[in-house]
Amino acid sequence: MNDKGAILPAENGVEAAVVGWLKDALNKKVFDALLIPVEVPAGDSFAYLLLRDPALLENASPLPPVMPIQGARAISRLTMRGNGSKRIAAVVRPCEARAAIELTKLEQAHLDNLWLITVDCPGVLPLSDYLEDPAAGAARFAEASQRWDRASMRPACQTCHYFSMPASDLHVGTLGSADGTVFVIPGSPKGERVLEDLNIPLDVALDDWTARVKEMERAQTERRQQAHADLRAGIAGPDGLLDVFSDCINCHNCQRVCPVCYCRQCYFESAALKLPPENYLTRSERKGALRFPPDTLLFHLGRASHMILSCVSCGACEDACPMSIPVAQVFSMLADRAQETLGYVAGRSLEDPLPLATYEMDELHQVEQPYVEIYHKREVQDA
Amino acid sequence: MPEGLKINKGAEDAVRGLLRSLLESGRVNGVLALGRTGGANGGVAYSLFTDPGAFVADGAALPLLPFMPANAGGLLSRLTLREPLAGPVAAVVKPCELRAFIELVKRSQGSLDNLLLISSTCGGVYPLDVGANGGLKERLPRYWEAVKQGVLDDDVRPTCRACMQFIPDNADITVALVGEEDLDTQCTLFLNTEKGAEFVEGLEGTSLSDELETEQIKRSHGQRAAYREELFAGVEVGMQELIRTFGRCIGCHACKTVCPICYCSLCYFDSQDCEYLPEIYESELERKGGLRLPPNTTFFQLGRLAHVSVSCVGCGMCTDVCPADIPVSTIFSKVGASVQALFDYQPGKDVTEEIPLMTFEEEELAQVAT
Repeated sequence: MNDKGAILPAENGVEAAVVGWLKDALNKKVFDALLIPVEVPAGDSFAYLLLRDPALLENASPLPPVMPIQGARAISRLTMRGNGSKRIAAVVRPCEARAAIELTKLEQAHLDNLWLITVDCPGVLPLSDYLEDPAAGAARFAEASQRWDRASMRPACQTCHYFSMPASDLHVGTLGSADGTVFVIPGSPKGERVLEDLNIPLDVALDDWTARVKEMERAQTERRQQAHADLRAGIAGPDGLLDVFSDCINCHNCQRVCPVCYCRQCYFESAALKLPPENYLTRSERKGALRFPPDTLLFHLGRASHMILSCVSCGACEDACPMSIPVAQVFSMLADRAQETLGYVAGRSLEDPLPLATYEMDELHQVEQPYVEIYHKREVQDA
Repeated sequence: MPEGLKINKGAEDAVRGLLRSLLESGRVNGVLALGRTGGANGGVAYSLFTDPGAFVADGAALPLLPFMPANAGGLLSRLTLREPLAGPVAAVVKPCELRAFIELVKRSQGSLDNLLLISSTCGGVYPLDVGANGGLKERLPRYWEAVKQGVLDDDVRPTCRACMQFIPDNADITVALVGEEDLDTQCTLFLNTEKGAEFVEGLEGTSLSDELETEQIKRSHGQRAAYREELFAGVEVGMQELIRTFGRCIGCHACKTVCPICYCSLCYFDSQDCEYLPEIYESELERKGGLRLPPNTTFFQLGRLAHVSVSCVGCGMCTDVCPADIPVSTIFSKVGASVQALFDYQPGKDVTEEIPLMTFEEEELAQVAT
């Protein structure tokens, strides 16, 4: 891959630079359409708009203060049934791009005719904080992102260490750039072709950007590990997990907004779990009471086991939880462990195979140990 | 004049005592009621209790707690969906939860057989975010003080403050709470059905004939009506206004998931029918210049309004779970009220009355035809 990039002028800020550049690409027919966050007419939120009319870019915002809908969901909706014929540039956050890559591997998105475009990400505000006063929220976000201060962002953003270039086709580097400029960095041959078509030569060394990203990654990784260690101390074991999820009202909104939870109908909402009354009463008698609806923790564990290897720690689940349960923090902690165990990083590359879809003869012997040591020994003794 | 039973105990104690004795004597096989989940942060959920021990003082059950983690109408449907109960089970629910269940029974989503339905005159419930992380506890003294005086605490769900149907319909037993100044020491149970009277047999108390509709309750009606007008005036339900308001909808469909009336196992808007081919998006793009993704934001809300408004019981679950802080419940209640008035229909009132959309009259709604 080319280790050079380009510099774009950004006197009027990063957002204006990105929008101007994309508008140019749209006018030159390098792209047929853009998928980009646009402020909604009431001015109180943002939504992904697929547009071909450059006039609609007036209220576009490549880095909005919130993530009302995970962009990968928008990409999946658009391409789940195949590649379209239009060339589309999708401007998304790094975690949205990573989720889009996971969904592509899960055959819920098709990226052949879609360019993922990302920008160094300062995080997003929790949706409910922003909605209390959208104008004040936008100002707070602008100010905090200027200083790369993540304290008021989503908890998931506060501990994010993949805030920069994922496997996107084109990336806008704002870290380490000189005032009034940004870097444009190709991430794939597809991305390079776009820059060629736009006559943007790749002649700038990216050392300043790389150094700043590395430095911030180190600090964020440390913060993340600390946060996970603190969290683990509080919730380890079944009782700890029961405590964390004890307020859960079973609305399953975490699953609904999760970009990776793509099942059309979740097992936990299916007829398979609608049981005759006797079943519930018998289960209640075993313990004296049965939480109703039942299977609250089982739902979260089931969800975790299904999606944790593809979890990108975007924090959408926590934003959508009506009971303020730290779902994203718990899931991101579990995700790091699970992904590390299998040597996988969600959204890092389209080429890495999904761990559960591959099989190696020689792996994970440590998981076999407990059986050999505990149960097998016992079986031998009992025999 | 309905028959009542006056018990020399506080309302909470009297109800717990009744439920405990029903379980102990084996007259019911279980009780669906609110209770502590046992979590360290004071979580509360509905539970199906079979152990009478849950109903002793300081037991896990909290049958009269002003909280609604799920609309129990939906839970009773889940309990009786596959088949009716084989033996008696008691349920302590709020009036709007009971109305929702009646609507579900009319839709063949549950059965009233063998259910002993206990409800109360209702002082409203606190929003979910107030109850999260143990926040309910400190509110309770204030709540019960307001209930005694027959007024509503300012912090209960807006839809509760605007609720005109806080006297339950179809309850076998109604616990008098609103406006009962001595509810800490005295409790009146109204026995609305033979079943209700039968199940309290042997309970210590004085029989009485009394009116449920006290002066305080009439006054409460007036206050609620005034607030309702104010609340409804605050939302516009014309097409343009709805598009604007739902502009910030994130399409999570949480409102549908928690709505007791929305019982479809798979919503049309989540079905394959709404997973379009890329060509469909491309032709829309060509036609309009731009389109929102995922699609069907306001369309979903209109579809849901069309399907549920006639049966909307105004419980407020949808507003509570909306991550985009949209006053969904107010919009649905307001539209619901006008649709229900049009058909002269009160959801949850009478289980034998057919749902308006299931019946047909030759001579009706001529104004729509013109």
